[in-house]
Amino acid sequence: MSKGKLLALVLIVAAFFAGRYFFATGPVQMTDSRGGASYGGNQEATADGERRSGSLVRGIHMAPMTGQVHEVRAGEKIMDTVKLAQSGDTIHVYPGTYSETVYIDKDNIRLVGIIEEGQRATLDGKGHLNDAILYSGNDIVVENFLITKYKGNAIMGQAGNNFEIRNNIIVDTGVYGIFPQLGKNGIVTHNVISGIEDAAIYVGMSDNIHVAHNHVFDSVAGIEIENSRHAIVENNFVTNNTGGILAFITPGLPVKTTYDVIIRNNFIVGNNHKNFAAPGSTVAGIPPGTGILIMAADEVVVEGNIISDNKTAGIIITDHNNAPNTTIDPESDPAPDKVAILDNLMSNNGYDSIDEVKALMLTEFKTGKVDIVRVGVSRDSCIINRHQYVTVGVDKWAECGFTHTGDVLTYLLDEPVPPREIDPAEAGKVAYLGICAGCHTYTGRMIGPPVQVIQALYMDDPQGLADYIANPVKKRDDYPQMPPQDYLDPATRLAVAEYMLSVTK
Amino acid sequence: MPRTLLCTSLLTLSVLAGTVLAEPAPYPACAACHGQNGQGNPDLNAPVLAGLDAGYLIRQLNYYRQGVRGDHEMDPHGQQMATLAKSLLNDQTDLQALAAYIQSLPVPAVQPVEGDLRRGNSYYQNNCGACHGGKGEGNAAFDAPRLAGQHPDYLKRQFLHFKQGIRGQHPKDKPGRRMAMMANTLPEETLDDVIAFISQQP
Repeated sequence: MSKGKLLALVLIVAAFFAGRYFFATGPVQMTDSRGGASYGGNQEATADGERRSGSLVRGIHMAPMTGQVHEVRAGEKIMDTVKLAQSGDTIHVYPGTYSETVYIDKDNIRLVGIIEEGQRATLDGKGHLNDAILYSGNDIVVENFLITKYKGNAIMGQAGNNFEIRNNIIVDTGVYGIFPQLGKNGIVTHNVISGIEDAAIYVGMSDNIHVAHNHVFDSVAGIEIENSRHAIVENNFVTNNTGGILAFITPGLPVKTTYDVIIRNNFIVGNNHKNFAAPGSTVAGIPPGTGILIMAADEVVVEGNIISDNKTAGIIITDHNNAPNTTIDPESDPAPDKVAILDNLMSNNGYDSIDEVKALMLTEFKTGKVDIVRVGVSRDSCIINRHQYVTVGVDKWAECGFTHTGDVLTYLLDEPVPPREIDPAEAGKVAYLGICAGCHTYTGRMIGPPVQVIQALYMDDPQGLADYIANPVKKRDDYPQMPPQDYLDPATRLAVAEYMLSVTK
Repeated sequence: MPRTLLCTSLLTLSVLAGTVLAEPAPYPACAACHGQNGQGNPDLNAPVLAGLDAGYLIRQLNYYRQGVRGDHEMDPHGQQMATLAKSLLNDQTDLQALAAYIQSLPVPAVQPVEGDLRRGNSYYQNNCGACHGGKGEGNAAFDAPRLAGQHPDYLKRQFLHFKQGIRGQHPKDKPGRRMAMMANTLPEETLDDVIAFISQQP
């Protein structure tokens, strides 16, 4: 090899590495696909008339971000940048492993993982950290992360409105995968979530929510809409969970109703996973092989789903009296009313059902693989094309007065709702609703012990309770250990303790 | 040295495995009502003592001696026990040894009672299990005694005492005051089912 060729080779190699170095340190050009121009389609398609129109449900914050763009790279702490960021800023997190808890307590922040050639910004809890990303601000976007090995939540919203949680991959993160609590106007789309011991996606005490295009599997509950209103769950792939999609009223939570939930166009297939929830918790009562479970929730419409190979039943509709591990909340109506089952493809469900379901079928002299089970009271519910399915408990339901949900594109609002105003005197109440009620109901066992028990244990000692939540210790073999709430300042911790000891329902 | 360690470990294991300790001096007086093996006697309204946590036993014995428990006119059985505790025990009594002995006695099998076990389980897990444990095994971290293996009649009587303000009102009885609060949270129509559930726990 001549000297000239050798030099050229060296230069090429040097340029390659220099280029990699250059591109690796320069800011990535991000294209925002939530708005902008649409693919127009081929002209021929409209030759015979106007095409139908309809907009994608992709984003809430369509106005361009005007603030600063911060960069976080491997070896740095995301939280250090969150502390610096101002409302309106964007934080780009480059590929690398970050082992920390990120807590966003300011409004209007976009936390964006940068994906480079398949490499994601990875939040790794290493089996000992509790939460990956917590936000209590409004107008928060969290996207493009890989989150794994946390014990509590991957992404939890605490009373933040107008949230967007998308394009995250969440593997084995403990109790909840994506958990917006007490939020209004939010979307959860295009996430892949698995290995969660309660709900992969848990929408709690929220309104105007869109959950779409997610893949949830190998979890106890796939998608859970709980004590929430005006929610659409569509186009999700829900497979091999214990229960696929749940619409619940959980008794004892501060918000007492669930209604107006549309579950449509999802694949709900083979949700037969062994139930690995903490024994005695609410979801521990879900029989493996449950496609959709509607408990006490009203106005739930089920349409256009492919529901197959769920061994207990395709759809179970139950009141609180007949649900396992559930007690009665005098402030919640225990009956699921105005449930509407529209056309769904149902196949090979109920092939290995539980004894309770078999006994119910005997009362109607039915046998075979059951698709739909109703147990307990359900008023004014309806169904169409009931002849297609093996059912129990729905023979007397009326024919529905509508056949589809096509007129409802989304329950998201045209404009972001105002940030939740927090009166400083109500800091304890907001923290209680946004944080504590995620795991503690007033009367029952959800994840942690009931609030009534906590009130008895700390009856005249709010400071003791405030100290405990900052640094909890495990006291119960059969409950998960509580995650420390030490990201709250001491005054808020005392306020929330005092509030918790004072609530009465 | 390893051999000593092994012996110590074996000794520890045998204690953990439930070796009954030597009977301390005051126990025969207890046995008159509570039975030679601490199995209790429903005919005398004497509860099972065997297997109860030593800390709980010591606390209750002191409560009886100090008039914290067994002082209410609506609690004749408690009054009996208070009288006996005051006469049989004194400041020189080795309560630690007595309680450790009783704790080491094997928990007797209880005759299960019938009920709606599913409802019993739901209300037990939601209202009771957070302190008394998922199987009624008790949890010293909350001063919550073992319930499994206890006579159903005694459980019901004590529960109603807590609920009716007969037990768990004294300022010195903080665990009792907690239980009195919790007794008011359980819907009374579910009580028999909850007790049936407890009676079925091993």
